[in-house]
Amino acid sequence: MSETVTQEVVAVKQNEDYCSSCSICSTLCPYEALKKDPETGKIFLEIEKCQVCGLCYATCPAKAIDTIYYDVDSLTGYLEKAKQQYDSDTLVIMCKGSAPDFTGVDDMFGVSKFVPLSVPCLGRIPEEVLLKAVVMGMSRIYALACDEDFCRFQKGSAVTERRILALNLLLEEFGYGKEVIVLKHNSLKVKADTDLCIACANCVFYCPYDAAKLEGRGVVSFDLELCRGCGLCVAMCPALALDLENWEKERISTLVSQISSRARQPNILVFRCQWAAFPSLDAEELAPNIGLVDLPCASRIDIAHVLQAFQEGIDGVLVAACAEDDCKQEKASGRAEHSIAKLKERLGQIGLDGRLRFCTVTPRYPEQFGRELEQFNQEIKGIASKEVEK
Amino acid sequence: MIVTTQKPLDEVIGFISPYSNILIAGCDGCTQPPRGIKEAETLSQLLELGGKPGNKNWKFKTITVAKQCDSYLAESVVRPEMEGVDAVLSLACGIGVQTLAGLFPGLQVFPAQNTHFMGSESREEGFLEDMCSGCGECRLAITGGICPVTRCTKGLLNGACGGSKNGKCELSPERDCGWVLIYEQLKRLGKLDNLKAFTPPRDFQQTGWRITT
Repeated sequence: MSETVTQEVVAVKQNEDYCSSCSICSTLCPYEALKKDPETGKIFLEIEKCQVCGLCYATCPAKAIDTIYYDVDSLTGYLEKAKQQYDSDTLVIMCKGSAPDFTGVDDMFGVSKFVPLSVPCLGRIPEEVLLKAVVMGMSRIYALACDEDFCRFQKGSAVTERRILALNLLLEEFGYGKEVIVLKHNSLKVKADTDLCIACANCVFYCPYDAAKLEGRGVVSFDLELCRGCGLCVAMCPALALDLENWEKERISTLVSQISSRARQPNILVFRCQWAAFPSLDAEELAPNIGLVDLPCASRIDIAHVLQAFQEGIDGVLVAACAEDDCKQEKASGRAEHSIAKLKERLGQIGLDGRLRFCTVTPRYPEQFGRELEQFNQEIKGIASKEVEK
Repeated sequence: MIVTTQKPLDEVIGFISPYSNILIAGCDGCTQPPRGIKEAETLSQLLELGGKPGNKNWKFKTITVAKQCDSYLAESVVRPEMEGVDAVLSLACGIGVQTLAGLFPGLQVFPAQNTHFMGSESREEGFLEDMCSGCGECRLAITGGICPVTRCTKGLLNGACGGSKNGKCELSPERDCGWVLIYEQLKRLGKLDNLKAFTPPRDFQQTGWRITT
C-alpha cells in the first residue's frame, strides 16, 4: 500500500532547498498539512492531509511550494492566449464554488464581453498572476470569490479579500487607478418551491447544516444563512420541490442530453464532484468517448439524471466523488455512495448494474481520476463486446 | 407510517407486460421515504430500461396523490388522468392499491410495492421497525408505551415466555424480547405493579372490518 503511495504523482510538493521555514504556509494551511517540526524547526508537508487549495503555493514568499494545478506559468500562458481568443481587456476570475453562468456574470458585474477564468478557489491565484494580467493590458479585473462562510477551503475567500485589498493599493500607487480589481462575493444555494412541498421532512433530516426547517403544520423553509449548497436535499426530495441555484435539474438534464446525443462507442458519462479532481486550465484532456458533468458535490447526484442517461443510450455512468474524509461538505459524499449503491441494486434487477460505478478520487493524486476512468472505460467496452457476441 | 418496499422489477414487468398505456400513481402519504412524483418517474425510467430488451412499447404517465387511501382525494386526482389508460401501477401501500382498484372496477390496478407493517423509522440507523398491529384494544398505557402484541414475537399479553434469553427472543437472536423491554421501561417508571394485573385474551372482534365515521 505504502509503495503505491510513494510512487504516485502528487499535486503539491515542497522544495526544501528554497524553504526558509518562515511558517507562513503552516499558519495558513486550513488542513494542518504543512507543519513546523518542533525539533528541527523545518516545515514539512503531510500530503495525505492536503486538500490542494493552493493557498500555500500562492503565498510562499520563497517559491518553495510547487503545484501541478494552476501554477504561475500555466495561468499567465492561459491569459495570453485567452486575451486574443476572447478579444477583451476585461478579466473575470471566478471560483468554481459560486461561479454563475455567463449571463450571471453580466448581471453581477455588468460585463458581457470578458476573458473568463474559473478556478477551484481564488486563494490559489498568486499576486504575481494578477499583476501580470494588468501588465498584459487587462484594464479591469473582476474577481468572484465565495462568501467567506461558503468557502470550500475554509480560508481561501478571506485570504483573497486581503490579497486584493493590498494589490489595489499597490496598483493605485503605481498609477493604474483606483480599484483595478473589483471583488465580489457569491454563493449558490437551495431554492424551494413550497407549492410542491409535501412536508415529508426528508430535507430536514438530510441537510448537514440544519438549514431546512419544518415547523408547525407548514411546509419547509430554509435558513439560507446556513445553507452551504451541497445539493443533497435536492437529490433526496421525493416531491421534486427543491433545486440548487446554477445546478438546476433542468440544466444538468440538458448537459446529460448533449453528451448522450454524441455518436461515440462506448459513450460514457461521468458525474464528478468539482472538488474531487481538477481539470487543466484549457479544455480537459479526456478521451473523445467521455462526457463530463461537474457537480457542486457528489451528493447532488440525482438518480433521475443517471437513469435519463441510460434511457438516452449512454453505455456507462461513472460517479467520481471525494472520499468521505476529503468531502468539502459534511461527509455528504457518503450519502452519494449510498444512493448509487441503492440504484445499482435496482439496476441489477434489470441486468444493468455493471454500467454504473461509484469511485472516490482526489486532486492530491492527479493521475487517480484518469486511472479510474480508464478502468471503467475498459469495463464498459467489455460489457459491450459481450453483448455483441450474444 | 406504513412500511413498504419495492417489488422486484421483473415481477412488476410481468404485471404490466400485456398493457401499453400505464398510469404510475405515486402516494405522498405515510410511507417513508414517500413514493411520490419522483419515485413514480424513477419507476417509469427503470421499467422502460428493463423492458427494452423485449422491445416493450410502454407509455407511462406519472402522477401522485396526497393520500391514495382517501377514495375522495384519489378519485379527484386520478380520474381526470385515466383517458386511454389500460392499467394502473400504484406505489402506495396495499390500502392505496385497493382504493384505486375499487374506484376503477374495469381496470387492473397493480401494486409496485410490498406492504410490510405499520412502523416507525430510525433515520440515523437506517431501519424501519414494526410497531403496531392495529389490534383495536390499545394497551400501551399499561405496558409503558411498548406494544406486546407487536413487539413480542408471539404477541403474548401477560409477560415473557420461557424463550426469552439475555433480553433476546428465542426466535431470532437479533430481536429484542418485547417483554424485557416492557419490564425495564415499567421499572424506570416505577410501575412494575402494572405487571400484576391479568390481561384477558385479545378480542379479535375488535379488528372488525368496518367502522362508522
